[in-house]
Amino acid sequence: MTETKQARAIRYVYKFKFDNGAEKVFDILLNEETLELLGSDSEPKPAWTKLKYSQCENCPLPDSVEHCPVAVNLSKLVDSFFASASYEAALVTVESPQRTYVKKTTLQKGLSAIIGIYMSTSNCPIMDKLRPMTRFHLPFANSIETFFRSISSYLTAQFLLMTKGKEPDWEMKGLREIYKSVNIVNKGMSQRLLNATKTDANVNAVVILHSFGDGISYVIDSGLVDLEPMFSVLLKDAGVAAAEPPEKGQASSKPT
Amino acid sequence: MNERILIVDDEESLRMSLKFKLKSAGFDVDVAVDGEEALNRLKSKQVDVVLLDINMPRMSGIEALTRIRQDFPQTEAIMLTGFADFSTAIECLKMGARDYLVKPVDTTELVTRVRSLIRSRVSERALQEVQERLSSVLPNDLMGPLTKIQDLLDQASKLEGDAESKERKKLLGTARELIAKMEKNLQGLLDVSKQTAQLEPRERR
Repeated sequence: MTETKQARAIRYVYKFKFDNGAEKVFDILLNEETLELLGSDSEPKPAWTKLKYSQCENCPLPDSVEHCPVAVNLSKLVDSFFASASYEAALVTVESPQRTYVKKTTLQKGLSAIIGIYMSTSNCPIMDKLRPMTRFHLPFANSIETFFRSISSYLTAQFLLMTKGKEPDWEMKGLREIYKSVNIVNKGMSQRLLNATKTDANVNAVVILHSFGDGISYVIDSGLVDLEPMFSVLLKDAGVAAAEPPEKGQASSKPT
Repeated sequence: MNERILIVDDEESLRMSLKFKLKSAGFDVDVAVDGEEALNRLKSKQVDVVLLDINMPRMSGIEALTRIRQDFPQTEAIMLTGFADFSTAIECLKMGARDYLVKPVDTTELVTRVRSLIRSRVSERALQEVQERLSSVLPNDLMGPLTKIQDLLDQASKLEGDAESKERKKLLGTARELIAKMEKNLQGLLDVSKQTAQLEPRERR
């Protein structure tokens, strides 16, 4: 039974190794079809995971739900880094079914990647919208990589809607709205974690996710000008000159 | 020229999202990954406001703040903290930071705070200019002539009879000239004061 379930699961293993030799390992199993986190029922449920503890202002869950699903998914991880500093150096290894990623980075960066998975696979009705991105999880991604994955994922969904006779949202107005709601959850979660932890590692990891959410609307408003140079060949074929690439290391932000 | 803001944070996504917001609000924006890079940027370009993360590797935000206050007193600092560490934030305010924000930063609030800080900075500089002008004008252009006028009036009051009326007229004429000069200086001060009041009407209430 377990073998069948594991065969249908996507597995990510996160290993955090610190300069003092300490190591922490997190094994994440997702249902391959639904991308739902498997085994989260057995996670500990401390007081700060109660739905009413610091409920997000846009939470659509009814009062009958006792625990915040996002908080429950995060509880074990948060507890492990209860007193860790955000900029602490860590060697983070992420094993996915296809490849292994290794990076010497800050703890907050490693944590934000894993927290991103836990949040979007928790069955929170708001975070659910980001779940397709989990299938193409990219640890340690920078802003432009995350924007690209997010936009690609949303536009794929629009194409699917179009093939089913629905009106696609090519202007990505819906994506802006999704991130607006997601950022209210990110803010609510960082508030919850402020009360649940002693130092800033966990909170700052959520802050990183919040920053991505903030940035996406500006990227869309700019007409994807930062991504445009990468598509110069396709644009040229269509007789369109691509915009100049932004300064190295400096994302542009042309306001509308 | 737009006001220039320098964002200092070790996290790329945060630098980028704040930069997006501040650029779209009309500011010129530069970024630095830590305190050391921030100080180098400040050496090459004048910055109006620096947004400074408190917890950073290599050089902490507090250390960077100390250096900025010392070497670049014209640059104002707003601290960013990912953890509501109010004692550290208050310590930063005592060290010369003008404000602090807790992450995740509400970007609309950030723009409001930056604008407010720049407004009050312009206002403070104008006030400082008035004070400097006052302190130079009062002793030389007002107190000096006033002493001279008193002296002239004393001399005039001692003169008696028609024979000395010509001399009295001369003294009073000089006093009148000095009074006209003082009036002109006072008017100049009043004009500067009015201009300062118009710069920041809300802060004059």
